[in-house]
Amino acid sequence: MCPTPWKYRLLEGLLSILRKLKSTPDQEVRILLLGLDNAGKTTLLKQLASEDISHITPTQGFNIKSVQSQGFKLNVWDIGGQRKIRPYWRNYFENTDILIYVIDSADRKRFEETGQELAELLDEEKLSGVPVLIFANKQDLLTAAPASEIAEGLNLHTIRDRVWQIQSCSALSGEGVQDGMNWVCKNVNAKKK
Amino acid sequence: CKCYFNKLSQGGRVESAVGNIIIDPKDYTFSGLKGETVGRLPGKVAGQQFVIQDCENCSIYIFDHSATITIDDCINCQIFLGPIKGSVFFRDCKDCKCIVACQQFRTRDCRRLEVFLCCATQPVIESSTGMKFGCFQYYYPELALQFKDAGLSIFNNTWSNIHDFTPLSGENNWGLLPENAVVQDYVPLPSSEELKAVRVSTDAMRSIIPITRGRRQRSSDESCLVVFFAGDYTTANARKLIDEMTGKGFQLVQTKEVSMKAEDAQRVFQQCASEFIPLLEKGPVVALEFNGDGAVEGCQSIVTDVFSGTKVFVSESKASASQDVDNFYNFADMQMGM
Repeated sequence: MCPTPWKYRLLEGLLSILRKLKSTPDQEVRILLLGLDNAGKTTLLKQLASEDISHITPTQGFNIKSVQSQGFKLNVWDIGGQRKIRPYWRNYFENTDILIYVIDSADRKRFEETGQELAELLDEEKLSGVPVLIFANKQDLLTAAPASEIAEGLNLHTIRDRVWQIQSCSALSGEGVQDGMNWVCKNVNAKKK
Repeated sequence: CKCYFNKLSQGGRVESAVGNIIIDPKDYTFSGLKGETVGRLPGKVAGQQFVIQDCENCSIYIFDHSATITIDDCINCQIFLGPIKGSVFFRDCKDCKCIVACQQFRTRDCRRLEVFLCCATQPVIESSTGMKFGCFQYYYPELALQFKDAGLSIFNNTWSNIHDFTPLSGENNWGLLPENAVVQDYVPLPSSEELKAVRVSTDAMRSIIPITRGRRQRSSDESCLVVFFAGDYTTANARKLIDEMTGKGFQLVQTKEVSMKAEDAQRVFQQCASEFIPLLEKGPVVALEFNGDGAVEGCQSIVTDVFSGTKVFVSESKASASQDVDNFYNFADMQMGM
């Protein structure tokens, strides 16, 4: 996860040892990974875990992975995004530290739909104040809209009740993923009460 | 936050730099066509995204590999889509007949799609009905390499077990195409001079993707598992065995190309494991499941005659074969699961 230069890995390892010596475990962070079906959530999850991403099945329920990063233990919940099963998203809201919302930047037909779903999530009581990272994914594709265009269309600048960030990425190539996760690690305790 | 995406969804001229060449998304889009025959020749998509939307009564042929394709609001079209590295997604389409190869197959709000499919993962449908599926059956000379370019194995095709996100009780939203379905009755050969240059064959024996029965009813309770190990001739050997066995009237149920570890070999090959474990590190294995009375003996005799110099696993007996098959799929499904 967060493919980091060796010195960061070293630091991470030392921090981990220190914590264990003090018998303080790494802080566990609960991350919820949402977005429309076909957004690239599972590809992102596999990329974070440094696993093979060439053979991924559409998610029927959910996937969960735990990944060490920058002294944290990130528990990432990747939930299926088909329209029919979005009502189940709320079963996973409780105790979320960070929301990562993934958008297929190249699926222009569904920009309105994904904007709508994100708006509804940001209105949810159980996700109130939770920092949100929006990944403008699939930047490797021809018709991908740039993050700035997506931010404008989503009206992100009107978000006032929490910290947020939009990040261009390609979950397939890994480009931009680490930058996004760096923001996540920095804002792990930034939930607004 | 409110959403102002309407204006963005219209698209508009966008140029992208790919390498040092500016390419126009319009060259990778078929939009608003009626009654036309259109396509792209080999080399003309070269792994880019393709978009198909608002077409009616069209015949569309993408004779190349692509990154991902969406097909929106199309009615009564015949569509061939060459190997897609990622997902193909049909939305709001009706009465289309398609031949598709992809890593993921998805539909939403579709009616009466008939699809000859090669899909590396479990196909999914949502809010769709009257959907019918058969095994991908197509050949043209450039197609084999296009599968490689798309990162798709010709041996990984789960075309017949569809996951329905909106199942009905008492009815099925999907079923299988008739076994004897003639591909050209669904998607004809292209009629335009330009596209005729592609030397297509829809003959079952020539199909780049071996025709598998998948979940179709089996004719016999005797199966046989054969496993070829990674090497220069693995694909050719597997195809040769398939031809020989089908020539003798046996049926190919399923194929898989997957990496095996020593533990997996123990479980699948059991007593023979030690013979095969050293071969695993060279690359993924290709497994074939045959069905038919006498399938085990059929496989054994062909392997002895034709592949005498090659290390091949073949089921020992009818009794052990059904266990071999179960053991193999148990590990393969776990491996390829997520």
